[in-house]
Amino acid sequence: MANQLLEVKNIDVWYGDVQVLREVSLQVEEGTIVALVGANGAGKTTLLKTISGLLQPRKGEILFTGKPLHNLKPQDIVDRGIIHVPEGRRLFASLTVLENLKLGAYIKRARTNFDQSLKRAYDLFPVLEERKNQKAGTLSGGEQQMLAIGRAIMAQPKLIMLDEPSLGLSPILVKTIFEFIRTLNEQKATILLIEQNINQTLKIAHQAFVLKIGKIVMSGRGDELLANEEIRKAYIGERVRKQ
Amino acid sequence: MPGLSFVPQVIVNGILFGSMYGTAAIGLSLIFGTMRIVFIAQGAVIVLFAYFSFWLFDKLGIDPYLSLIPIILVSLLIGAAFYYGLFKEAAALKDRIGSLLIAVGLMFFLENFMTVVWTPNPRAVVTSYGFYAFNIFGIHLTLTRLIGLLLAVLATVGVSTFLRKTLMGTAVRATSEDVEASTLMGINPDRVNAVTFAIGIGLAAIAGTTMATTYSFDPVYGFEFAIKALVALTLGGIGRVYGALLGGILLGLIELLGTFFVGAGWSQAIVFGVFLLTLIFRPYGLFGGPSEKV
Repeated sequence: MANQLLEVKNIDVWYGDVQVLREVSLQVEEGTIVALVGANGAGKTTLLKTISGLLQPRKGEILFTGKPLHNLKPQDIVDRGIIHVPEGRRLFASLTVLENLKLGAYIKRARTNFDQSLKRAYDLFPVLEERKNQKAGTLSGGEQQMLAIGRAIMAQPKLIMLDEPSLGLSPILVKTIFEFIRTLNEQKATILLIEQNINQTLKIAHQAFVLKIGKIVMSGRGDELLANEEIRKAYIGERVRKQ
Repeated sequence: MPGLSFVPQVIVNGILFGSMYGTAAIGLSLIFGTMRIVFIAQGAVIVLFAYFSFWLFDKLGIDPYLSLIPIILVSLLIGAAFYYGLFKEAAALKDRIGSLLIAVGLMFFLENFMTVVWTPNPRAVVTSYGFYAFNIFGIHLTLTRLIGLLLAVLATVGVSTFLRKTLMGTAVRATSEDVEASTLMGINPDRVNAVTFAIGIGLAAIAGTTMATTYSFDPVYGFEFAIKALVALTLGGIGRVYGALLGGILLGLIELLGTFFVGAGWSQAIVFGVFLLTLIFRPYGLFGGPSEKV
């Protein structure tokens, strides 16, 4: 196998008495975009939360750059180089754009390169510089998503996990966000992406995993899955022709 | 009707006294804002620091404004210890009832501890300059009360600057808005909470020194004081540093003007009447819209 940045090995995750993930395994190769697709409630967000340490697996292990991760606290996982952009963006609405970006670079390692990271974020999203003193809560949906991604790169992560970045955005903005994700990847960022927007996601993904009721049921190259009839029927919503 | 010529004096006294409520209210606001803890023991802690000041003055002859420096340092440590020792679990579970009970327990413990150590008799720090006063336009201003106001304003500006200008302060505000999102930034919530608690207790040390130098106090005075600080916080609006100071001053004014015009008994009824009316009509405080943040 090529250089695996993240390896999830047979994890079981429970919410109280309810098992949400069953023996889930997944690999993210360095420098790639990996997509995690599946219906609502399949456990995609749970998997990201487990990787970022908000939840603990009952069984199995998670390795990042070959070292175990599943016993660490969320703040230490950020320090190792994984940043999680949660569903709904979760910006600090009462803080300014610049303050949000500063907190993105909260960990010591990132603080020392703050100026460079800030320039990178502003180069990628010039609107953030224009609005740096505005409160994050006053930004439009698209700008908020840009801030969420900008805040994530401030931490100088090795892996960026994006949970539904296109949620609630207009089709044009969705396209823009996907272009940004591709640009980030071209700048050597490894990306783990959850999306409802499966068509576009599989087009940019090098590798994809399909999660169904807590289990990985299929995996393969993005374009392979995109061509897969079952996937098209189940998730892209192409009508099955009536016989 | 007593002589109206005294009214300016009563107003000044109300401001000076109320600034002490304000200092306590800022501490309550910080602790509630980040951890959702109603720290009802704040008053007892203030009295404890007033005793520290009294004790250092009485036994060792250390000036109360000089002893404020070591007392603040100790208070920051005590604040962090309170968090790690008593409130960490309840804060993590967002258990408001649990944390309130712990705070009530701490308050009773401190009250009894102070009664045993320092007796229930009222105490005060009486310095040589304690009666020194200025007379401006016929208003009598005692030096110690003026210093109390100055300390309250400095503390308010200091806390506000910390919250707005430093990375840790920004992290405190972020955590009060969304704990989970802040941990995803690599912020250690326990450290943020401990720092916030330390600052809250540090403010109690400042209020304690002012209490010791300007008024007399006894071991059980703290409860009433904490309730008043909560009223001040409600008037000012939770999450506003300057609002809390203004709320405290406003409360001091209501209390003393009420006492002056209708008597001490009615004054308390008016205070809590205003408190209830504020909760009903301006639940976010008198100085602005919703904000349950630091």
